[in-house]
Amino acid sequence: MRTNDVILQFTAKIVFFIIFFFSIHIFMAGHYTPGGGFVGGLLTASAIVLLVLAFDLKTVRSVLPINYTYLTAIGLLLALGTAAFPMLLGKPFFTHFFDYYNLPLLGKQSLHTAMLFDGGVYCVVVGVTMTIIQTIGEDE
Amino acid sequence: MAFQVMLNFILALVWMFLSSNFTAAGFLVGFILGVILIIIMRRFFTTRLYLARVWAIIKLTLIFLKELILANIQVLKVVLRPELDMQPAFFAYPTVLTRDWEITLLSSLITLTPGTVVVHVSDDAKVLYVHAIDIGDVDEAIAAIRDSFEKAILEVSKS
Repeated sequence: MRTNDVILQFTAKIVFFIIFFFSIHIFMAGHYTPGGGFVGGLLTASAIVLLVLAFDLKTVRSVLPINYTYLTAIGLLLALGTAAFPMLLGKPFFTHFFDYYNLPLLGKQSLHTAMLFDGGVYCVVVGVTMTIIQTIGEDE
Repeated sequence: MAFQVMLNFILALVWMFLSSNFTAAGFLVGFILGVILIIIMRRFFTTRLYLARVWAIIKLTLIFLKELILANIQVLKVVLRPELDMQPAFFAYPTVLTRDWEITLLSSLITLTPGTVVVHVSDDAKVLYVHAIDIGDVDEAIAAIRDSFEKAILEVSKS
């Protein structure tokens, strides 16, 4: 006996996009304002969890066929690679570089290697959170 | 509908290239000219003008705001009455809407106007079960919802 969750499912589909956009904004805003990789990752995971609540694990896995264990590994590699890269140039471990670039559309932006490290943190947080929830959720 | 909106945007871009004025103002002028052209050429489209749908959405918003204020006053009267003589009731509301977003929108509108809450959608999505705080005549409430919200939503979704 399946109940009709039309309101919850339709609303979740729309709200998912809003939460996802907000998580990207928080991730990008981490350098000058509150936010960063950890909060952004948690928000992205919460958007996916909302879909899991509205539908079910099988549906969400077919919609987003991501192996979250691999995502965690990719995040760790990204963070470690960003940290280890300056050693090839004879600088100490974890030296960050930044410079100002004139990007098309965005104007003058400072690109910083801390962003890559933050991206690694983001991937690890999303991967770990989703792995935990999937593992608990699949226990019958 | 979607085709007409696309056409309007393309016309605006064409106007920008013709007048080599690549600013927001140039786009806006092109867009307004495109609207006028589409109204002139309305006989050639198989669907109705998308402006009618935009107007229907605006009307639905206004109807919702009006109902919100009126219903809030009603609930305030119920709350401030010294003796509790209200008649709470559940009733089934048979809906003619079929699409997911229509049912969601109608349920949200009914829930957001105080005094009525949608508690359940039946499995075949043909009946909404509504709880009302103070209701004298069920048929009257059903008719009120049908004449205000459902009619306005049908007006929006009409092709």
